[in-house]
Amino acid sequence: MLEKFKSYLVDKGGITEAEFQELAPVLQTKTIDKGTYLLREGEVCKYAFFVEQGLLRSFSIDQAGKEHIIQFAPENWIMSDISSNFFNESSDFFIEAIENTEVVLLDKTFFNLSDKSSSYRKYNELLLQNHIRHLQKRVNLLLSASAEKRYLNFIQLYPDLTLRVSQWMIASYLGITPESLSRVRKELATKNFKPN
Amino acid sequence: MKTKKIESIIAPQMPHYVGDGFRVHNFIPGVYPLTMQRMSPFIMMDYNSKFYFPPTDKPRGVGVHPHRGFETVTIAYKGKVAHHDSAGNSGVIGEGDVQWMTAAAGILHKEYHEKSFSEAGGDFQMVQLWVNLPAKDKMSTPKYQGITHEQLNKFQLPNNGGEIEVIAGKYNDIEGSASTFTPLHLYNMRLNKGGESTVSFPANFNTLLLVIEGEIQVNGNEFVATNQVALFENEGETIQINATENAVILVMSGEPIKEAIAAQGPFVMNTRDELIQAIDDYNMGKFGYLED
Repeated sequence: MLEKFKSYLVDKGGITEAEFQELAPVLQTKTIDKGTYLLREGEVCKYAFFVEQGLLRSFSIDQAGKEHIIQFAPENWIMSDISSNFFNESSDFFIEAIENTEVVLLDKTFFNLSDKSSSYRKYNELLLQNHIRHLQKRVNLLLSASAEKRYLNFIQLYPDLTLRVSQWMIASYLGITPESLSRVRKELATKNFKPN
Repeated sequence: MKTKKIESIIAPQMPHYVGDGFRVHNFIPGVYPLTMQRMSPFIMMDYNSKFYFPPTDKPRGVGVHPHRGFETVTIAYKGKVAHHDSAGNSGVIGEGDVQWMTAAAGILHKEYHEKSFSEAGGDFQMVQLWVNLPAKDKMSTPKYQGITHEQLNKFQLPNNGGEIEVIAGKYNDIEGSASTFTPLHLYNMRLNKGGESTVSFPANFNTLLLVIEGEIQVNGNEFVATNQVALFENEGETIQINATENAVILVMSGEPIKEAIAAQGPFVMNTRDELIQAIDDYNMGKFGYLED
């Protein structure tokens, strides 16, 4: 239970056992079925969600009713809507479980308590910088990269998601049509497949 | 020879869907104690108990997906499945047929209810079994053994007791129709009411049976009902099966492959690194291509 979250706090974040014992009572977990929403457009997002097991996606729906996937969060990822969670604005996004999922709910109490650990503060700062780097790269890829380059970047970031999510979701995340994704995969197979 | 006793009888769990065409009860590896290690070389068993699918003009099934490191064995009892793969093979698995696909180094395939079956609707009942490959054969060339019901080698039981289809291994002097990489026996028994049969396997072979139809009595004491699995102890050799009504039973027994197992989704390898390699190869198109 919470093996991955504890490892995230202690092994990576440098939280001591004593600090963990202080944090443990405020930790809330939630087990949700595939298809359940943790956030809907217009709501205020009260939590950041650490994925202990399963898979989340965040997405928006445009005026034509089309979904645009912003991010996937498999195990060990944290997903939230920053504008809503940090700045208290109503959210533009939905967060949905696309597998049966177990999440740890991180709220203000958790962040205030964990802030007492200087090593965790430092680690959290690193994560934040890393997240900004990821988002900058993602914006650049969406604006300038070929479909193939976007796909190659995707499989590097999320290696096993090609086995866990449908093609249309990957295409939506990449900002290309399912037909383009299919073409990219076909071209890669033509290049790389060597029958034995 | 000593009797091989039942270790436990396992009822089917709540079914789940694989794609939209296979409504299965998972037994291996999801139901304790039927783990991959305990049941090796049988590392997965999904059972679509008899279920009526209404007519549709859009065939139900599972879209393109990869496999590496093992074999998939599909045994059809009711209904028909059409399959296509990235090596250009395709065909239909009909009632009573067996398809033994060696995925080995890697293949992409898709499986859908056959068109005319979909359009008419009907009862659907199948078993899919995954048989592990030893490390030395995991990256061998993929191949198929498609065996129709007519082609299956059969043993006729005396006194009109029924017949045993020897899918793999050996029963008495009848050789199995499919070749295997490690020693194992796979039989489909079709027993008439009152029919009786004795099977014998080495003590260390992991052994189980699934009652597809009817009810049986095992070793003169325990009863196993439709859709239940009986797991046997790794002691003793002989199992006596009596049909208390007309019955169909799938019997599996195999020598454990004593190697590490690293499994994720459709890949079953020996190490974590090999799994990562399998995922990377799949993502990079090294399994080939198949249109959805």
